[in-house]
Amino acid sequence: MEPAIKVEGVGKKYVISHKNTMKYDNNLQHLAVLAKRLAHPIRSSSKEDFWALKDVNFDVQPGESIGLIGKNGAGKSTMLKLISRITEPTTGRIEINGTVSSMLEVGTGFNKELTGRENIYLNGAILGMRRSEIDKKFDTIVEFSEIDQFIDTPVKRYSSGMFVRLAFAVASHLESDIMVVDEVLAVGDSRFQKKCLEQMAQSAQTGRTVLYVSHNMATIRQLCSRTIFLERGRVSFIGDVDEGIDHYLANGGGNELVKDVSAHPESSWATNEARIIKVEMLDTTECVYAYNEPIKFRVTVHAKNDIEKVTMRVDVNDRNHESVGMSFSEPIGDLKKGCTYEIDFSMADHRLAPDFYAATLTLSTGNNFGTYSSIDTVFHVLQFDVLGMEINGLRETWTQVWGHLHIPPIETTSFKQIESNQ
Amino acid sequence: MQKTVIEPNGKSFQYWKDLWRYRELALNFAKRDITVRYKQTFIGFGWSIINPILNMLIMTFIFGNLAGFSENSAAPYQLIVYAGLIPWTLFSRSFTLASGTFVTNAELMKKVYFPRLISPLGSSLTSLIDTAISFGVMLIMMLIYHYTPSFRLLLAPVMLIPMMFLGMFLGLFVSVFTIKYRDLIQIIPLLVQIGQYATPVAYSMNDIKTKVSPTAALAFLVNPATGFVSAFKWCVIKTEVFDWHSFLISFAWLIVFIPIATKLFRKAERTFVDLV
Repeated sequence: MEPAIKVEGVGKKYVISHKNTMKYDNNLQHLAVLAKRLAHPIRSSSKEDFWALKDVNFDVQPGESIGLIGKNGAGKSTMLKLISRITEPTTGRIEINGTVSSMLEVGTGFNKELTGRENIYLNGAILGMRRSEIDKKFDTIVEFSEIDQFIDTPVKRYSSGMFVRLAFAVASHLESDIMVVDEVLAVGDSRFQKKCLEQMAQSAQTGRTVLYVSHNMATIRQLCSRTIFLERGRVSFIGDVDEGIDHYLANGGGNELVKDVSAHPESSWATNEARIIKVEMLDTTECVYAYNEPIKFRVTVHAKNDIEKVTMRVDVNDRNHESVGMSFSEPIGDLKKGCTYEIDFSMADHRLAPDFYAATLTLSTGNNFGTYSSIDTVFHVLQFDVLGMEINGLRETWTQVWGHLHIPPIETTSFKQIESNQ
Repeated sequence: MQKTVIEPNGKSFQYWKDLWRYRELALNFAKRDITVRYKQTFIGFGWSIINPILNMLIMTFIFGNLAGFSENSAAPYQLIVYAGLIPWTLFSRSFTLASGTFVTNAELMKKVYFPRLISPLGSSLTSLIDTAISFGVMLIMMLIYHYTPSFRLLLAPVMLIPMMFLGMFLGLFVSVFTIKYRDLIQIIPLLVQIGQYATPVAYSMNDIKTKVSPTAALAFLVNPATGFVSAFKWCVIKTEVFDWHSFLISFAWLIVFIPIATKLFRKAERTFVDLV
């Protein structure tokens, strides 16, 4: 039997141009740069090749469910993009036997002005369904999405939950031989998430081939029969699910424990009188923390000048680089010119909700007026996952729409009966 | 079972097969654009009728009343202008929408595959539907002005098809360059505005030759839209003379630009996603 997906020697090269990211101090400078660009429109800034995927080979047999795992930037999304034909490989060849439906995002092509019904037809067509096919599936889609009474309401009046349910319902009812799914699909409230996963597991059982990307190892275990572990654009392991997950976790579970950041760029707004050269996560093996467990890390700093009253600022961002929160450390102390310091921090009682986070570190110095100036910044250097609270041995699920602050269980301060039935 | 091969510079054959498979999507895009356009407007679909009529009235005032082109015209001047506007609007809309195809659909194209030619086809279809409405309005105008057209009127709809494709393929040609140079998007409305006056919409090729100057006529002649606009007016207005020169020139533009634009567009769409 021919494989459903056959990937041979696939590589994908991106050309990164290092644009002049210098901030223009004034309009005159800006004009000068603009004039230069007009004079030489073709000559571009320095360029660098970056291979997001290199020499990737694997086969997927019909009916298999494959989990594609790897750190951020390992090439998982690029692989999905190639298989879903959104962009072309630079080298190699992919052969696909059967029709592919790919779900890289929920609600692609939805139009907020159109009603639910209109959107089902539009979205179905965008995903490659024929009108007759949508007609046949229409009732099932509506039923699955649980929005039947709002089907003729413009989507812009939907709650985000309703929107996501409808979008997933359309995408998951595509009739295709191969399903390519990105983890962003794990959306909606936990009950709906479970329903989605069941739907996907069911499609796998009916002989569909599933290629699934996730950072959630529990889902990979539940859904997949085999894993492909990607590392820096290359396949470093193919095979058994548990073994693949072990490989993934052994490699930092997506997050690196120790990071040498000695080469990070200087920032124009900072004094650069000292540099952060290494960041290390402490008391953890996988950069995964339980609910409200202190996040401990060690920062190595080299001072180029004498600096007084140094503090550390931590800006926590989510996976989309949206701000979640910020914290200043207590004053650390003074730094002496030419000395290197190792400073340990503990971010306790942070109440972060379960998710992946990337925090930016900024070394600052305070003055007597209570304002701070930056000395050095390293972006998104602290990367970690926070797990859900464990209740009676079960890990709670958390939906992204609930935000990033996990408020501790509210207390019941009084409970009394004020009226009797009799 | 459907077999797809994905490789650098993939096979054309597969692409054209896909284009056929996705044909319903073009229809869906057109339907979406038209439905969304008039949502939450008071007059709604009426705008499709009002807009071209307003445009016609302005042109009639400028060229008929002020410039005096309406003198000794054998047919109601409003009708002549309206007949000129129909193919011109179709051309300019198809052109504008096709040239912006990569910019307006970037988000969608980054997340889902479909042969990218589908989106300009869909938007051209939208313009064609608008044109059909305008055509209906024109027939009503003929009744109002008691104007009896000749049998050539039956040919008029046929003339619209090359007009639409000419606009679309010229737009596709430009769209390729908008990926790197967004500035082009700013220039296009201006180009279209100039084009409207450099096309025999409110006057005929003959007017230009006799009333303006032969040099100006030359500029009109190289304008790709001139030939099909004149030809459409010839179909509607029985006293117009068929201008073979401009018609053949328009036709040549079409023949030359279909392969060039298609080739460039196909090349650009392969890796467009990596560049935005």
